[in-house]
Amino acid sequence: MGKRKINLAMSSVENREMRLGTIIAWDGKASELVEQSDYDSRSKNKEKGGCAGNGRKACRMCELYSPLNQQTMCANAIVECQIGNLTDCILIQHSPIGCAADNAWFNLAFKLGLTRRHKPIQNLQIFCTNLLEKDMVFGASDKLRQAIREAKERFNAKAIFISMSCSTAIIGEDIDSIADELEPEVGVPVVPLHCEGFRSKHWSTGFDISQHGVARQIVKKNPVKQPDLINIVALWGSDYFTDMLKPLGLRVNYMIDTASYDELAQASEAVATATFCHTLGSYMATALEQHFGVPQIDAPQPYGFAATDEWFRAIAKIVGKEEETEAYIQAEHERVMPKILELREKFKGVKGFVMTGSSYSHGLISVLRELGIEVQGSIVFHHDPVYDSGAEHQNTLKYLVDNYGDVPHFTVSKTQAFQLPQVFRRVETDFVIIRHQGLAPEAAKLGIPALAMGDEHIPVGYDGMIRTGEILLDILARKRFNQVLQRHVDLPYTEWWQAQNDPFLLSKNPEILDEVLEQAKERKGA
Amino acid sequence: MAKTQTKSGTIVHPHYGCTVGAAYSVAAIKNAVPIANCGPGCMYKQFFLLSFDNGFQGSAGAGGGNVPSANVGENDIVFGGEKKLDDLIKSSLAVLKGDLFVVLTGCSGELIGDNVESVVRKYQEQGFPVIAAQTGGFKGTNLTGHEIVIEAIINQFVGDYDGEKEQGLVNLWFDVPYFHQNWRGDYLEIVRILRASGLKVNVLFGAQSGGVEEWKQIPKAQFNLVISPWVGVKTAKLLERKYHQPFLHIPEIPIGEEATTAFIRKVVEFAGIDKAKSEAFIKEESDLYYYFLEHFAEFFSEYWFGLPSQFAVVGDSAYTLAYTKYLASQIGMIPVAQIITDNPPERYRESIREHFHNLAEGVSVEPEFIEDGYQVEQKLKETDFGSGIPLILGTTWESDVVAEKGGLLIEVGPPTTEEVTINKTYIGYRGAFTLLERIYSAAVGGK
Repeated sequence: MGKRKINLAMSSVENREMRLGTIIAWDGKASELVEQSDYDSRSKNKEKGGCAGNGRKACRMCELYSPLNQQTMCANAIVECQIGNLTDCILIQHSPIGCAADNAWFNLAFKLGLTRRHKPIQNLQIFCTNLLEKDMVFGASDKLRQAIREAKERFNAKAIFISMSCSTAIIGEDIDSIADELEPEVGVPVVPLHCEGFRSKHWSTGFDISQHGVARQIVKKNPVKQPDLINIVALWGSDYFTDMLKPLGLRVNYMIDTASYDELAQASEAVATATFCHTLGSYMATALEQHFGVPQIDAPQPYGFAATDEWFRAIAKIVGKEEETEAYIQAEHERVMPKILELREKFKGVKGFVMTGSSYSHGLISVLRELGIEVQGSIVFHHDPVYDSGAEHQNTLKYLVDNYGDVPHFTVSKTQAFQLPQVFRRVETDFVIIRHQGLAPEAAKLGIPALAMGDEHIPVGYDGMIRTGEILLDILARKRFNQVLQRHVDLPYTEWWQAQNDPFLLSKNPEILDEVLEQAKERKGA
Repeated sequence: MAKTQTKSGTIVHPHYGCTVGAAYSVAAIKNAVPIANCGPGCMYKQFFLLSFDNGFQGSAGAGGGNVPSANVGENDIVFGGEKKLDDLIKSSLAVLKGDLFVVLTGCSGELIGDNVESVVRKYQEQGFPVIAAQTGGFKGTNLTGHEIVIEAIINQFVGDYDGEKEQGLVNLWFDVPYFHQNWRGDYLEIVRILRASGLKVNVLFGAQSGGVEEWKQIPKAQFNLVISPWVGVKTAKLLERKYHQPFLHIPEIPIGEEATTAFIRKVVEFAGIDKAKSEAFIKEESDLYYYFLEHFAEFFSEYWFGLPSQFAVVGDSAYTLAYTKYLASQIGMIPVAQIITDNPPERYRESIREHFHNLAEGVSVEPEFIEDGYQVEQKLKETDFGSGIPLILGTTWESDVVAEKGGLLIEVGPPTTEEVTINKTYIGYRGAFTLLERIYSAAVGGK
């Protein structure tokens, strides 16, 4: 059997939990997670077409089940944040209006992204078919057809994407057929995206679905190589990659957020694909590699000295600039080192904690440790034991543990704020770094200030360490605000829960809930 | 639901959330906890339009950005989500402080027909304060959801009552929490006014409310006061049937001295309480109001460099009417486009129109009901604002078209991402000047 390929013939993507064995609840040491992930043999299995995910029992990682969950993102929201943030294509959310209620959030991100990429500022233009009760009964395909026509008429969209929602998936809307039917009429690609919120246990499947649609129907099938073009799979981060890659003679093609149709289409013409985060970028990079022969950078992510060195070297190898790159790396070290040493002095005794998406956290912890900040724990919102590439040098968690030491309290948990009182009792920290909403305000009440890493490129590369350090100095000062808050504001949890010490108590011992409720009843009775 | 104006009913740039967004109405009740029996992204999505990207309002307690949620997955769709919901309710009761837990079922649960009532009943029978509301997102807007949730709380939690009524006690049905971004400040001002006029108030939402306990007092009130063109009327009619309480419906939220004074007199008259207290309060507040207005008049009359005059409002029925009325009848600004985005039921539209036709002596404007943001923006694009700087009270969605017209945008509704709201109000005696400060600071270049 040949290497298992991403199947662009299909309109839908197999969920991450099936493809990669992704888990959303786990607690232990980072080193144990590295071991249980067994990246290398999963990668080999994947190549053989065998089990990389949880298809077979032997491949399934142990995972905790929590009876209590709080709100999270979903794959449908991720598609909005990717495909809804293109400059000249239109996303149609085939759903009731509530699925569009976060348009405003991604609009804010989009406009900031456009500013950072030096593009004209505009509001996003996502359509919602605004389905009502009668549509649930009689079907809503005509509404979708009309919306596709309107998207073309109003905005002259270069491509039109359709996103599935929970309700339209349940009532069985056939978005594939409608896309096929309307494509000749509107004369631009119409791309169905099967991203209904219930389908995957983790929202990051939404990245894969978005990227799949782009690779399948937008990327040029007959590319003409652009030897100075490199794809960077990104979100809305500042354009630091241009300066970083200029010495290697490369131009950056950012995808997907803030890109135009043409920028996405030319992805197959690039010499390579890299990313700031394998959680985000691995599917696209692998699809481009397998189907269009664009190699991906087989290296850890560019955070901290050693990984950034390796990242540059891997790119240099592809573009044949090894020698110049060695000189560049050396010069960069010399340039940033004095400032890093200064920052290390300032961060003596400071402790930090990271709560972000999976492999991004691995990178951020490296950066903090480069700055001399102690990191006793981290929460990641899911864990992929292997990436789609299965690439040898992309095992980011192992890279972290091997190069920067273990993380004693490494938690996989999907934005579950109720666990934070327990989490912050067993680790010490002076600040948290967060992405995704809901956690920072809870940490705030526990007296801990947060750096909301909204510009995800801040920690990237050599300068990223300095940028991160300087922002953290501002954040540490905010602790006074958090101490005021802590003195005067209560947590929303019962005394019983606040007295517990294990954040995963409910998962390990769910029977205790019956006892707690029984006691509550007795108290009421008395 | 009334028809939208596009051929397909498509919406670009939504100005409201869906029914399940009423989780935020629950979160606004002190000691009440919403439990979302929904897909994983539903609460996340509502959070942004109604709270974070609506003036970055923030929340307290167990609601806000961390609503307990079933995060309904594929297995639950196939095999039913009742076990998961049961686990969720049980663990929420153990972990979260609360005196009332409201389960809101979204699209998935409603479409697959989960028997939520039977799960909830189990807890009710054990004496836990848990109730359920059917709020599938396809049922309409968060305003529809707001009324559904209130009805569920009244029927399942407040319950029957045939005791005495308390004279002078009023149930207040007013701003929709979170949806109206200034709701906290608005409640403070309206409650201040009602109390100072001699009434006792069941505030029901927000900081001054007695929370869940106060909801139990609803049946004792002498009457219900609805301050909104349509939201809350359904609730008042329910209470009229259930507790034999009359209601007073005041469609115009009062802004400025004349409207607020008229509002107080109307309420006091209806309540039949002694007028001495309210009249003394009116006198005191009116004196203050005109003391400030006189000072403002110097700037307003003498500013050399031009001020906006012709204005548009894009918003829900309540505030499009309230702002238009105040600016047109009290400041002498000229309304040129009043666009109502909250899809009021057909039966209320005629009376809403009438209010716009009678803004002041000789001042009339035809409001438009448009939900699709694209068409809202087209309408603004076509609107002639005369020779001055166009002023638009609206939302972030109108920012592109306002920039194109070289106008001033004051964000007053969802979504609002260029304004931070902590404790602000533009209504009543005191809020009117905050509104004027906001508009004219922007006009003189303060942004």
